Amino acid sequence: MQEAVAVQTPWFRASFKEWILTTDHKKIAVLYAVTSLVFFAVAGLMGLVIRLELTSPGMQYVSHDFYNYLLTGHGAVLLLWWAIAFWGAFTNFLIPLMIGARDVAFPRLNQLSYWFFFSASILVLITLIPSQHIKMMWTGYPPFSLNDGAGPTVLYVLIIWLVAGSTLGTGVNFITTVLKMRTPGVTLGRMNLMIHGLIGSIVIQLLGVPAFVGAVTMLFLDKYIGTGFFNPAVGGDPVLYQHLFWFYSHPAVYVMILPAFGVFSEVISAMSRKPIFGQKSMMIALWAIAILGFEVWAHHMFTSGMPDWLRIVMSYTTVLIAVPTGIKIFNWVATLHKGAIRFHTPMLFTLGGIFMFLIGGLTGIPLALPSFDIHVHDSAFVVGHFHYVLAMAVTFGAFSGAYFWYPKVTGRMFPEGLGKASFWLMLVGSNIFYFTQMMVGIAGMPRRYADYPAIPEWITLNEIQTVGAFILAAGVVLSFLAWIRGLKGPKADRNPWGSPSLEWTTASPPAPHNFDKFPVEVPEGWSPYHYGKRS
Amino acid sequence: MAQAAVHHGEHETSVWPLSTGLAVLFAALALTAHFAWQMPLLGLVLGGGAAALLAVGIGGWAREFFTKGTEEGVGPIAVGAFIASEVIIFGTMFVAFWMGRIVYAEQWSAWIPSNLNLVLALWLTLILWASSGTIIMAERAMERGDRSASLGWIGATFVLGLLFVVLHMNEWAHLAAGGFKLGSSIYATTFYSLTGVHTSHVVIGLLMQIVLFGVVATRLMTPQRVTFFRASSIYWHFVDIMWLMVASNAYLVGGLR
Repeated sequence: MQEAVAVQTPWFRASFKEWILTTDHKKIAVLYAVTSLVFFAVAGLMGLVIRLELTSPGMQYVSHDFYNYLLTGHGAVLLLWWAIAFWGAFTNFLIPLMIGARDVAFPRLNQLSYWFFFSASILVLITLIPSQHIKMMWTGYPPFSLNDGAGPTVLYVLIIWLVAGSTLGTGVNFITTVLKMRTPGVTLGRMNLMIHGLIGSIVIQLLGVPAFVGAVTMLFLDKYIGTGFFNPAVGGDPVLYQHLFWFYSHPAVYVMILPAFGVFSEVISAMSRKPIFGQKSMMIALWAIAILGFEVWAHHMFTSGMPDWLRIVMSYTTVLIAVPTGIKIFNWVATLHKGAIRFHTPMLFTLGGIFMFLIGGLTGIPLALPSFDIHVHDSAFVVGHFHYVLAMAVTFGAFSGAYFWYPKVTGRMFPEGLGKASFWLMLVGSNIFYFTQMMVGIAGMPRRYADYPAIPEWITLNEIQTVGAFILAAGVVLSFLAWIRGLKGPKADRNPWGSPSLEWTTASPPAPHNFDKFPVEVPEGWSPYHYGKRS
Repeated sequence: MAQAAVHHGEHETSVWPLSTGLAVLFAALALTAHFAWQMPLLGLVLGGGAAALLAVGIGGWAREFFTKGTEEGVGPIAVGAFIASEVIIFGTMFVAFWMGRIVYAEQWSAWIPSNLNLVLALWLTLILWASSGTIIMAERAMERGDRSASLGWIGATFVLGLLFVVLHMNEWAHLAAGGFKLGSSIYATTFYSLTGVHTSHVVIGLLMQIVLFGVVATRLMTPQRVTFFRASSIYWHFVDIMWLMVASNAYLVGGLR
């Protein structure tokens, strides 16, 4: 356990004992990635069952109760285990490499953070037992979540607590790492935008997750200990829960998307052979989104009952977020301009992700306006909108990053053909799926219901959605295949994309100690985007 | 920034985070057994297992921290980040309190218990703030290598903290006996939640002081490696400052007619 045992073996040769006792940030990253992908697959299947059930009116495959459980599981797991936790794998793997550090500031705390996440995963598996289904949606609004019909509230509360524990441990660890362990020459202003994206999302979590923890703690106290936070009879207010919940859970969408913005920046720059356009404005825009994200939560509650002035303020702040996101999109396009573009798989996923984010963002602006929102609130339009942003822009970003750093993590090249096929299936499938979902929402179909009246227009649109969903799922399966096949693929050299960023200067996969020499030296005027003149 | 040079990470593996992590899992299962499965005995067994694993995990962790690895001096930054998130947790309770206080301004005075003891709040404040002073003395003694003085001051801090907890629990029992029950009004709910969340932080601070006492008494901690001391001391000051906010809201804003 002390020395020499692990020092020279790369991660994939490690024994089981080493895997469960490791404090190596790269192995912990692989643990996060594998856990996350397993749950991604399970919750994706839950989504497919939901989709099958909605294909035609009436109940065909599942009961109402089980449908509610599927919705809860699909939402909670894909948001917490996929859209947030998969970035945990990137945080763990990339940040120490990108700043030229040996490991993180607190390697043992890093392992403990994973065990928190693992414990939460065990609880999610317990909810698969029929009597343990939780059915309060991932939002867990009272008064329904206080009702026994919603399933064991304590499991929902514990899952949030444990995920929060993992998040906070990771958060303090990586903030300290980035502030104190950068190798000389890697300044906060010059370091990769990917690090800014990941740290931005970590800072949001550090300040936001506690609000969610407070909300579910009140839920726990109300249900089991007998307090009256959400009981109007003694002066409590259920809307308080919604305020606290969205104070974190709106910024949570930036927790998911900021790292994707980081990936887009890295990939676009590397694949266009050009420095990222306006690096400083990208940085400022990213942090502006992180800060502004905390000022908009009530736009989820325009129909929940709140003073008019609050609606107006939150509506303006929400629209304001379009400015920094617009800056980012223009900068990515400007980076492409006159670049020597290579359309490898990561680049396709990045461009697709920006496209999906654009549609998601543009449909978000009308939703920010109460006069429009109250008509489509809780309709399938909202579901389509946030699947464009959260489901597809984030997933395309995550897949792009997974392909981009695949050679670094495994030391092998993935099969390019499978990757590209996967991309096109996912792009086509998701657009068929979510665009028609928005259409049926505008046509009046509400979200969350297991059944709907046999309106011909709704039936057609729902059938098209199911076709799209299965094309999307086929695309995801091809990517899983590409990653498995890639493990036996041709050896990758240490810098297949020709990037000057620090993680590419070490071996693929990196040795347990990351770099051969400390402190890692970077040349004068170093930049992770220094591609120089086109040759 | 030069930390990369001194950070060697001699520990590629460690069993203590796993032990602590299993304690977390067992504690979660214990709560589930107690509240969802109505199996209090299983809950008790799992909870006991969790406590044992936690004690072993923390003890081993502290030993490994001081016997292997090097001084990184980055603890205070991490504690600062952690405190930032703690402030938000307290913030949620304050939001609940103020929502009730503002919306139900007219009914509020009917909810104030007649036996609310404002003088006690003052005493509690003095006790806790005195303990902030004693932990500073303990830290200074350790920095100049005076181990026995440091142990004495840590002990004094612990006694003051414990006194605070005991007095406060006594006060809760007293208030509850007078009809000021958890769910009787939003004032009662937020009063007990604010002071309860705060007291749970005091208890965590006390546990940190036990670990601190252990590593100082067993000579694991040396005057050259006091980051852990500084971090626990910062946390303790945060708990003491937070008490001012909690007391001035729960006792004064809430309790004055």
